[in-house]
This record gives sequence, C-alpha cells and structure tokens, in this order.
Amino acid sequence: MKKIFALLSALMIFSMILSACAPQTVVQTVVVTEVVTQEVVVEGTPQVKEVVKTVVVEATPEPKKPQLIIFNWWTAPGEREAADAMYEAFKAKYPDVEIIENPTPGGGGVNQRVVLQARMTAGLPPDTFQTLGGAELKAYVDAGQLEPLDDLWAQLDYANKIPGPLAKAVTVDGHPYVVPLNMHIQNILYYNKALFDELQLTPPTNYDELVATCEAIKAAKPDLACIGLGSKEKWGDAFVFDAVFMEEAGPADYVKFYKGELDPATFEPFKRSLEKFQALAPYINTDHAGLTWDQATALLPGGTAAMTLMGTWAIGALEKGGGWKAGMDFGAVTFPQKPERILLFHPDTYGLAKGAPNPETTLKWLEVVASPELQIPTDVIQGGLFARTDIDPTEFPDPIRQELMQYVRDNPDKLILDQHGSIAPSSFTSEYWNVIASFLVQPDVNATIQQVASLFQQFNVKDASAWYQWP
Amino acid sequence: MKSKNITIKIIVILTLILLSFAYLLPVYVMIITSLKSVQEVTVGNYLIPTGSPQFVNYAEVLFGSVRFRSQMLPRLLNSMIISFSVTFLSAFFGGLGGYYLSRSKSTFARVLFILVGIALYMPLQAIIIPLVTLMAKTRLLLTHWGLIVSYLVLNVPLASVLMGTFFLSVPRELEEAAEVDGASKIQTFFRIVTPISMPAYVSVAIIIFTQVWNEFFLALSLSSPSTQTVQVVMAEAKGTTLVLYNLQMAAALISVFVPLLFFLLLGRYFIRGILAGALKG
Amino acid sequence: MQFPHPYRILKIINKRFRSPSQWLALTSIQGRQVSAITSPVVRGRKRRRDQLTLAEFLVFVVPLLIFVVILYGTLIWTFYVSLANWSGIAANYEFAGFKWYQSLFNNIRFWVDVQNNLKWLILGVIPTVFLAIFLAYLLELAPFPAIESYIRTLILYPVAMSFIVTGTIWSWMYEPKRGVFNTILSALGVQSQLTYTTNPSTATYWLILIFIWQYLGFAVIIVQSSFRTSELQEMIEAATVDGASKLRILFSIIIPNIRSGLLVLVSLLLISTLKVFDIVYIVTFGGPGISTDVLSLYMFIATFQQHLVSMGAALGVIIFLIAFIIVIPYTIYALRRWFE
Repeated sequence: MKKIFALLSALMIFSMILSACAPQTVVQTVVVTEVVTQEVVVEGTPQVKEVVKTVVVEATPEPKKPQLIIFNWWTAPGEREAADAMYEAFKAKYPDVEIIENPTPGGGGVNQRVVLQARMTAGLPPDTFQTLGGAELKAYVDAGQLEPLDDLWAQLDYANKIPGPLAKAVTVDGHPYVVPLNMHIQNILYYNKALFDELQLTPPTNYDELVATCEAIKAAKPDLACIGLGSKEKWGDAFVFDAVFMEEAGPADYVKFYKGELDPATFEPFKRSLEKFQALAPYINTDHAGLTWDQATALLPGGTAAMTLMGTWAIGALEKGGGWKAGMDFGAVTFPQKPERILLFHPDTYGLAKGAPNPETTLKWLEVVASPELQIPTDVIQGGLFARTDIDPTEFPDPIRQELMQYVRDNPDKLILDQHGSIAPSSFTSEYWNVIASFLVQPDVNATIQQVASLFQQFNVKDASAWYQWP
Repeated sequence: MKSKNITIKIIVILTLILLSFAYLLPVYVMIITSLKSVQEVTVGNYLIPTGSPQFVNYAEVLFGSVRFRSQMLPRLLNSMIISFSVTFLSAFFGGLGGYYLSRSKSTFARVLFILVGIALYMPLQAIIIPLVTLMAKTRLLLTHWGLIVSYLVLNVPLASVLMGTFFLSVPRELEEAAEVDGASKIQTFFRIVTPISMPAYVSVAIIIFTQVWNEFFLALSLSSPSTQTVQVVMAEAKGTTLVLYNLQMAAALISVFVPLLFFLLLGRYFIRGILAGALKG
Repeated sequence: MQFPHPYRILKIINKRFRSPSQWLALTSIQGRQVSAITSPVVRGRKRRRDQLTLAEFLVFVVPLLIFVVILYGTLIWTFYVSLANWSGIAANYEFAGFKWYQSLFNNIRFWVDVQNNLKWLILGVIPTVFLAIFLAYLLELAPFPAIESYIRTLILYPVAMSFIVTGTIWSWMYEPKRGVFNTILSALGVQSQLTYTTNPSTATYWLILIFIWQYLGFAVIIVQSSFRTSELQEMIEAATVDGASKLRILFSIIIPNIRSGLLVLVSLLLISTLKVFDIVYIVTFGGPGISTDVLSLYMFIATFQQHLVSMGAALGVIIFLIAFIIVIPYTIYALRRWFE
C-alpha cells in the first residue's frame, strides 16, 4: 500500500516537475524582468527547477542588457541565411544588443500572425515583426498594433530613397508605418536555357508568344510540361492568371479592378482573361494541385517542366535547390511586357510594435533595416530586389536581378502591388485565390465571374482598398 | 467456431496477403526511404532498400541542418512534457470524477453525466476561438501550460467516463466493508479503489497519451515557437522544405516512435483502452 | 469485519480480469456480468446516503466540474462570437446578429464543404463498418489462431500514428508522377493514369481511403469485442448445430445482435469523419481549388488566415450542432446503460 502511494506520488512529482519546469520559470521571470521571459525557456530542455532559478537570480543583478525581440517567418533554406545576414549587419553596428528572435515557420507568415495576435492580446508585444506591405500591413495598422514612423522616415529621408509606389504601399492615411527592406517581384517567367537554345526559342513576352512557345515545346517534347505550376497553396494559379489579366486589362484597370471599382460581370477583359487562362491548362503539369511553389520550381532542374512563372524568390530556390546557375542554366523575363512592362511587387518590412518593450533599440534596428549595409547582404541572399534605389545593381550576383534593379531605378513608377501584399484585403484575396484555383481545375467562366463579383461585395473591397493609390 | 472449411481458408489467406500488403507497404517504404540519400530517392526504386544506410538522416532531423531547419529534438521534448502532464493530470482528475459518476444516482450526477458525455464528442472547432483568446489573456499560451490546460478541458471528461466505466465493474462489497470500518469516501477511494484500478488507469493513460501526442488542430492553433509539438513540425516539414522525402520519413518515424513503443510494449492495455474508450457508457 | 489487504484484493481482481475478453465483458455494455460478480446481498442492501460532504464534493466533483464549466463556457462564448462583428486582428464584440451565418449560407464554398463532409460521413463510415464486420467474422472463423493476433497487430498499429504522419506517407504514395503507387504500377507494366488527389472530382475519395486504412483496425477490435458475449456465442453454436450456413449466421444472428456495439462504432466514426481536419490539411490543403475543402478546414482558414473570426465561430457552432445531432442517440443509450 505505502509502496503504491510512494510510487504514485513520485510519479506525480516527476510529472509535475516535467510539466512545471519550463512554464514556472516563465512565471518567475515575468515578475523579475518582463522581457527575458518566454525566450529564456524556448528551447526548453527540461531542466530541474533549481537550475532555472539560479539562472534568474544571476541575471537580475547585472545591468540590463539592451534587447530586441523580433518576430519573423524566415525559416526556409535561403531565408534563414538571409535572416542571419540581417542580424549580422545589426550586430556590426550595435554589438551589445541581444537579439531575441522568434522565428515562426510557415510561408507568408500565417502561423506568425496567430502567435503575434495571441501575444498582442496577452499584452506582450515584441519590438518589431516582419510584415508585408499593402492590405496585410493595413490590417495591423487598423488593429492599432503599429506605431507611425513619420519622424524616422523624415530623418532618413527614406521616401526619396525608395521607389514611390513602394512608399505608398507602406503608407496608410499619410503615415508610413514600416521600413521596407526589399521588393519581391511576382511576374517573372523562368525558363530552361539549354532547352530554349536547343529548340531555338526566344522567351515569350506576351500571351500569344507564350502559347506559340508552348506549342513548339509540346511538338518537340511531348512529355515535358510547358508551364510548371504548383497550386497547393492556391496563389500559384493567381500568379499565372494575373499575368494574363495584366496584359488584357492594362495596369490602370488592373489596379481599379482589385480596388473593387470595376464590376467583374461587365468588365470584358476579366472574362477574356479567364478564357485565355483556361486555354493554358493543357500546357500545365497535371499534378499542379499537389505541389507547393518550391516543388513546382524544382520541376525545371528536374527536367519535367520548361518554364515557370514565379517571384524573384525562385532564383534562390533554383540555385540552391536545383544547383542551377542564373543566366547560364536558366533565364528569366518579366511577363507580360505588353502593353507595358509592369513589375508586380510586394515588400518585406519591419515596423515598431505598439507597446514595444524596447522602443529605442527598435528605432536603431529600423535605421539599420533602411541602410544599404543590411539590405545588400540580406536581399542578395534572400532573393528580392533592394528597397533603396541608390544601391548599385551590380551588387547582385545574377544578371536577372541586375537588370530588374536597373529597370526599377529607371522606371520607379512601373511598380504595382501584387497578390501577396495585396491591394484588396487579405480576406478577399485568399478567397479569390480559391476561386481562381477552382477555375483552373473546373473551368466555368460565368460562374467564376459571378463568384468573384460576390466576393467583391461580401468583403466590401471598394471601401477597404480605397487607401491604395496608384500611380 | 473455428472452421476447417476450405473456402474460408482460402478467403482468410487472401485477406491475409491483401492486408499485409496494404499495411506493411507504407511502413516498409517509410523505413527504407528514411535511410536513403536524396539522390537514391530521386532515382526511384522505392521498394529496394539502400546499400549504404544513411543514419545521419536521423541526426539531421533531430538536431537540424542546413537542409532541414526544423529540429525535432526540442519539439519531441515539448510533446513529451505536454503529453505526459495531460495524461497524468487527466487520469488523476478523471479518476476522481469518474468515481463520483459511477457511485452517485443523484439528479446532479445525471446532469453532469450528460454534459460530460457530450463533451467527449465536442469538436475542437467549437471552442477553439475562446480557448486561444483565454490562453492569450492569461499568458498561458506562451508556455506549455496553454496546451496542457486546453487538452485537460477535453481529456478530463474523457478520463472520467473511462474510469467510471471501470469503477462500475468494481465490486462494491470492498468499499462497503471499508465504510463499515469507518473509512471516509475519500480514504476508501485512495486506499481501496485506486490500487485495484491500476490496470484501468494504465489503459486510460495510454489512450489519452496517444490522443494528445497525435493531436494536431489544437496544437497548430495554439502553437508558439517554444511550445510547438512534433505534429506541427511534421506538418511544417512537409509544407515548406524542398521535397526531401528521406528526411521527411525519418522525421515521421521519430514522431511515431513514442506512441508506437507504447503500442508494442503495452499492446494489451492499449486494446483495452481503445475498447473502454469505444464502449464508454 | 477485517477487510482484506489491498494486495490480496489486487490479486483476486487480477485473476478475475486476467484475459482481455473477460475484462472486456466486465466493462462492456453487454456486461451483465457486472452484476453477476457483485454479491446479491450487497445489491439488495440499501446504499449509504447519496449526499457528499463538502470535502468529498471538493475532491471528487470540483475538478471535473471546473473543466466541464470551462468547456461549456467556451462553447457559449463561441456562439456569442459568431453573433458579433469580429473580422480583423483586434477583437470586436459588437453585436451583428446572424449576419455571418447568412453570408455562409450564401457562400458556394460552404456548400461545397457540406457536400464533402457528407461524402466523408457516408463513405468514411459505411465501408469501414462493413469491412470491420467482415474481418472480425473472418477472424472468428480463422482456422489458425496465430493469424488472429498477427492481423490484429497489423491493422491496429496505425491507431498509434497521427494523421499527420499517415498523411505525409500517403501523399507521397499518391503522387502521380513519382509517387510510390504509380512507380510500382509502371514497374509491373501497368501504365497507370491514376491521378489520385490531384483530380478534383475524385480527390476526396482518395482522402477517405486513408481514413479507412487508419481506422479499420480500431473498428475490427470493437466489432470483435461485441461478438464475444456468451449469449451471442451460444446462439451461434445453436445455429451451427441446426446447420445454418456461415453467411446466414452472420446476417440473421450476428449483425442483429451486435446492434449496440455497432451504434457505438458508427457514432465514433461519424464524429471522427465530421471533425476530419488533419488529413485534408496535410495532403491537399483543400485543393485542387476547393474540391476537398471541409468545414473544419474552412473554419481554421477563416479564423486564422482571413481573420474573419466571427465567421469562423459560426462555422464552429455549425460543426458542433451536427456533432450534437449525431451523438444524441448514443448519449441517450449510454445514459440508460449507466444508471440502470
């Protein structure tokens, strides 16, 4: 009897310790120093309680080390290195600041938003967090979770250092809220250079040329998918559709459309684009629904697709994942280039969280984010373009981005927000992706037009996107 | 009822072959793939084991590498802390509650039983939003307690019904005898009923442990970097990395190792637990 | 009266419960034996007062009660959120009536999900139950006893695995281009045109197959245990003596007599298929398009991705109501058994 009790209570104590060790430290540290709290515990190998306690005791008498709590979602290969480069650039200037990062994996930051939302509700905001521009940013601003950065921008003269459309994408009601550190371009067509040389093809610049190229490829290599697509995350389809739609509608109407100012039912280019998009289906790999974007990009070096339409971040995936060399094994062109060569873009940005525990350090951090010292190494690794236009384009190792960067410098007004940092609110956009993705597998033009029209209504896009101004 | 009939023999053997194929193939592929190099996986030949097993894959998955960023080891610890705590606490509280439900015939007990009975089938989707808000407000979300408490909300009712089912079958003369001797209900429960119910506790514990270990929806919704469970990391590994099937399979094997070990070692209790779980009530 | 030493009681009980089937019989719902082992004297005697002292109430009832209160509290809270106007990152409890339910009912995606959930409810449950009865019966008839434990272990191990792991393995097996199935088929000389989960019109069925694979062992165990009651065994023996065929025995004796076991099994499977989330999340994420989307996935996306929290809550309430309807018959049955 006693034995059983002893055993039982031993078990109880053991499991209590097991479950308590990490959390209890938090409770204790919360009391001592608000900020250390969660992060100390994070990688929590279960230590015995006493050990943790001593750590805390040792920590308190020391003068408080400046800290910076960062949230981001750069965890995938290529992104992780870029994040490290970012911290290195900051450390070079402020070696005594301790960076506490809180990477939350999950492309596009879906998981991060859950965690962030929870922390904000709990009254434990980080200092700064990664966010896209556009509607995504606006959601944080509307929720009152970001501080305006007018002073910082004025001090850095940042509005004149970056392209106008980029500044507008992070400005809500006249106040800039974040510091962008890069620009990703969505509408880039990557192609297998060896194959194009072999078949003596030139990369297409508009829809008709695309179809002609695909026909030629199909004739020569019937097993090869002309366009490699991954639509598991749903937005891959929207990228291709956007390319078609941009050509049909032209940039001004493209923006008006996503701002909800045009009725899809009466706006003819939308219908035509759907039909043309549907006509591309035979050239797309059949298993697209099961592939993520990186898997689809890997089809090129894998030799099962000839082209893919993807953002600038695919350069890294092709080079690191596929072992290809930009300009040698694969080429890239903006698509479409008619009627105008528009670059659809979204930025990665950092801002100052409302209630940030270390606002001074955060402002220092944002200053570094705005600097070439951080942007050059980070963007080169991660795959975007520089946010600043005063950086020499030849800092990029690949000819593709050198050319794109030069184009942005010469034509800063050719930038328009893309599907990720979208013009329309993100609730609309994610539903819209579903409709476009469904259309590709079960094409019904009229039903799709109706659905899109009702989405514009349901999410009240017209009012919600009124803040976005282009050009 | 054993039969010597020849047709039945044939059917049995056919079924046997079919089932063996259907149930062994996935595991077989999983194991041999987890030991291959990326090149070997790309070539195909999924059914042929590799000549040079890459045990380093497991190290990569556990400790992380350039190719596989999501280290499994800290997540394994998270899962263990959470699963063991929930198992222990819900078996303990569930045992107490179950004993009451099995011994009382009052209206209150009946109402409580109905509420508990429905709770067993409560879809998480119906409570997740307040749960996340609650855990955030109380700051429990940032620690393992967020997930532990959330799981307890669902598993204490489950454990109480499972334990209650068992207590119903415990002969009451033992308790009566103790009570005649002047022992209180609490004493009787801890000194008489609990010891003889140990096998049932083990079964209930295994069921709850497996459930919590394998749970995904709540773990995903309440995940924060410091409390991510193995399931969430597995989902990430499948979602965002390049398709490194060998590493994915190694990660999958590591994540099923603990519950599978329980299954193989304590299979008898496992089956009892499932049955008790199924036949609850 | 001297009461026996606990260790002795443990021994007695262990002896009594040694074999699982006995244990099962004890805990099972057919367990009339429960009363058989409690002595008639005890049964006849008037029970001590039913009331609890405060201490007893605190120890036995309060812990359970706390969690039950949290559970139902959050349920009511969800309902409240579903009537509010919370769409955005910050919470907003401003009353908006049934607006979100209305917008759901006008939403094509919602109806696609309902259809898919129905597919799951029907095709995830009926084949599983029939296969389980077939297998359980076969195991009863199996000429070699060793086979039984082999098959049991074989089909039961997936129960210990998560849907995330199963989904990861199966989505690789299903890949049309370089997946395991099609590679094996082409090695056998069959040019497989199967596209599995990438074909929108059949994708859900392939997902359901994974579910059946995972739950079959579980179902067999439950059906088997309801076979193992002495009454049923006697009836089968009697019928066998009368020369009834094996199939006849199955359909006219066994199936009608394991109704209660089947009620339990069907309720459990229905709930599991209704709640299905993990498989869809990991294998297709609702795709292609929204062809495999289900209510629980939509609930997750609406809440955490689109920040339409009130709409997510409305979906949660709808899922709860369906689940509630499904478990009513079972709960009534269980309640009767419990307090009989």
